[in-house]
Amino acid sequence: MHKRNSRLALTAVAVATASALLAGCSSGTAPTTADGKQKVIFWQQKFEDYQQAWFKKNVEAFNKSQDQVEVEYVVVPADTWDQKLKAAQAAGKAPDVKTTNYGNVKPMQANGQLADLTQLMDAEDFDDIKPNVKEFVTVDGGVYGYPLLVEPSTVLFYRTDLFEKAGIDAPPTSWDELIEDARKLTSGKVKGMNIAQTAPDLGWSSWGLQYNVAGDLPLRGDWSEASATDPAYKELAEFYQTLYTEKLMPQEATYGYADCSFFGEGSVAMSACGSWALGQLAGNPDWKNVNENFAVAPFPSYDGDPTRPTATLGGWTLTIDSKSKVAEGAAEFVDYLVADDPQRMVEFFAASGFSKYAARASVDEALAADEEASSNPYMKIISEQIVAHAKGEPAYPWDVSLAFATAIEKSMRGGDIDASLKEAQDAIAGVIEKQKLAGTAPGN
Amino acid sequence: MTMSPQLTTHGATQRIVLESGEPERKGRRRREKVKVARHLMDNRTAYLMIAPMVILLGIFVFWPLVYSFYLSTFEISFYTDPEFVGLQFYRYVLEDPKFWHAIWIGAQYAIYVVPIMLVIAFLIASFIRTVGIKLAGLLKTTVYIPTVVSAVVASIIFVFMYRSDGGIVNWLLSFVGLGPYAFLSNPDLALPAISVPGIWLAFGITTLIMLAGMYDIPESYYEAAQLEGANYFQRTFYITIPLMKNVLLYLLVTATIGALQQFELPLIMTGGGPTNATMTPNLFIFNTFKDPTPYATSFSLTAALILFFVLGTVSVLIFKLINSDKAIDG
Repeated sequence: MHKRNSRLALTAVAVATASALLAGCSSGTAPTTADGKQKVIFWQQKFEDYQQAWFKKNVEAFNKSQDQVEVEYVVVPADTWDQKLKAAQAAGKAPDVKTTNYGNVKPMQANGQLADLTQLMDAEDFDDIKPNVKEFVTVDGGVYGYPLLVEPSTVLFYRTDLFEKAGIDAPPTSWDELIEDARKLTSGKVKGMNIAQTAPDLGWSSWGLQYNVAGDLPLRGDWSEASATDPAYKELAEFYQTLYTEKLMPQEATYGYADCSFFGEGSVAMSACGSWALGQLAGNPDWKNVNENFAVAPFPSYDGDPTRPTATLGGWTLTIDSKSKVAEGAAEFVDYLVADDPQRMVEFFAASGFSKYAARASVDEALAADEEASSNPYMKIISEQIVAHAKGEPAYPWDVSLAFATAIEKSMRGGDIDASLKEAQDAIAGVIEKQKLAGTAPGN
Repeated sequence: MTMSPQLTTHGATQRIVLESGEPERKGRRRREKVKVARHLMDNRTAYLMIAPMVILLGIFVFWPLVYSFYLSTFEISFYTDPEFVGLQFYRYVLEDPKFWHAIWIGAQYAIYVVPIMLVIAFLIASFIRTVGIKLAGLLKTTVYIPTVVSAVVASIIFVFMYRSDGGIVNWLLSFVGLGPYAFLSNPDLALPAISVPGIWLAFGITTLIMLAGMYDIPESYYEAAQLEGANYFQRTFYITIPLMKNVLLYLLVTATIGALQQFELPLIMTGGGPTNATMTPNLFIFNTFKDPTPYATSFSLTAALILFFVLGTVSVLIFKLINSDKAIDG
């Protein structure tokens, strides 16, 4: 009897302690600052330093420009972003405004995470967004992210001095030419080419080439069946395999795909990099020699047809959390930062070394009027020859991209191409079944 | 040995009762009353003493665990109502070849790390035991240094050491005409390559624990054995190892579980690649968790719970295979 009483007493103490601890977790009303302003939390994923400087400056300017809303600016490193965001969402403390890439807007919208901006901002703000970009953020008439920029994922960077030395007079236009050039350019410690080589990097950087070779992605249509064994992908896998197994590219991923340091350091003669690498190259005084001797071109098409897509248009938007208690204040901030004065965005693109591209027509006009922007030698090539044919990022779960990329990586390292693609096919079929994707493709 | 059988509260109570029972034989009732009261007092003290731990374990271990099992029966969304799916995610995880591949990678990593680490630690501990106090102090401090180095720092240093262009490992290999090898980009070499810092980080503390076990073995045993003419190996196999059985068992279990849970080294050195060759179970769960979908949240939660069972089973198996003796006393 006594034992039972003691147990009961212990249980009661435990429950009381737990309740006291959990009592602190209740949700309240809209958060305000000490001086009564609405408090908006803004998380920015850490990018190049100039971006943090631009965001910081403009958040401060916004806070000074009015006395209703106070934005708290938080920079979150990219490698901890996902888990920090999820932990914050689980705790009901998700940021009111955050940077979100195009690929995540639709999956997040499907899960009810994002607020419809058309309910919070003026209609003309949305008319200004370029039509092809607007598609990336629109679901059933609602706009769920305000585009900040677009940047093609794949641009061919090449060394003009090494090309001349090897007797090559123009950048390659087909994959065969590219491999041939890479063979000629590989000598000593300098490799002919650099391209992504790990599955997490291949997952997104090869989307453009998947479109290029097969006209579509391994999960297409209404997402009811996998197409990883589409024979066209064999050519893609062979392309990567040849580059890697013939040692025409670096044999270890010292730098990830998003980092164009192999090219900057001069250890490769050609490199596939995102357009953002222009900013990286220009910003590094140690890479002077490379900076003075390089040019950009569209990444070659497998058959030489320059009108096929070779890149996806990645990029970033600002989204508002659907649970935000200060959604209106948050929308005011988003409007100020990216939808209002085009000159603010021109400053951003100038700081980027014109390595990123505008998502709004008015910003394009302002850029055209800007002398520095219009005289930039790379802008024209990238916007007219690459961006014009580029595709949007897929809205399907990352697991699908990763499964396909794992097949490419296995092929690259000398694995059997058919077996690898079959494995990807099965893995994607599993994702379709388990994540109930059939028939859920946006727009179907 | 320090692991002598402990007196339980219950045993102590009985003894006290027996001792104090003798002079009170006259009144049976009175005797019983005393017995109950002391028994209860002892129990109460015992309960009070373990109460803080039980409460803390309850709040921070048992309740979260039970709640996790409950949550794993839902597809959890932080934005919409969770959908009850029963044990569906258990099926998904158990059917997922990537999950089992990750467990296999964890097991391989344990096979590379645990035996080598235990042998190295044993040899070093045996050596330290034979040297003088001053030198032993210096050696103990030295072998402990890797333990205080952060795994993150060690990972980064080893990444540089393994680089095929200018890494010290390839530089050294070049003297014997080997390499260069892209250790971390070769699916066959990557796991052994990350096992090396794994061994390096863990052998220090293992050595010290072994040394503590060795110091506990009375010197007289060795003296007697030496008088009988036993050589070093005989002394090691017939005295040191049998008397250190419990210490070795503890180290084997903790090192195996630790190895199966390895996370930082592959996260920083290889990101789980190349071609998932270093995708340890925890890294796999972590990577799955990152997707913004409700599926990813529930899948990673369920995978973590199943891993908990796998690790529990491994521990039980090791305990079963090598019976632990409670009462070996040096």
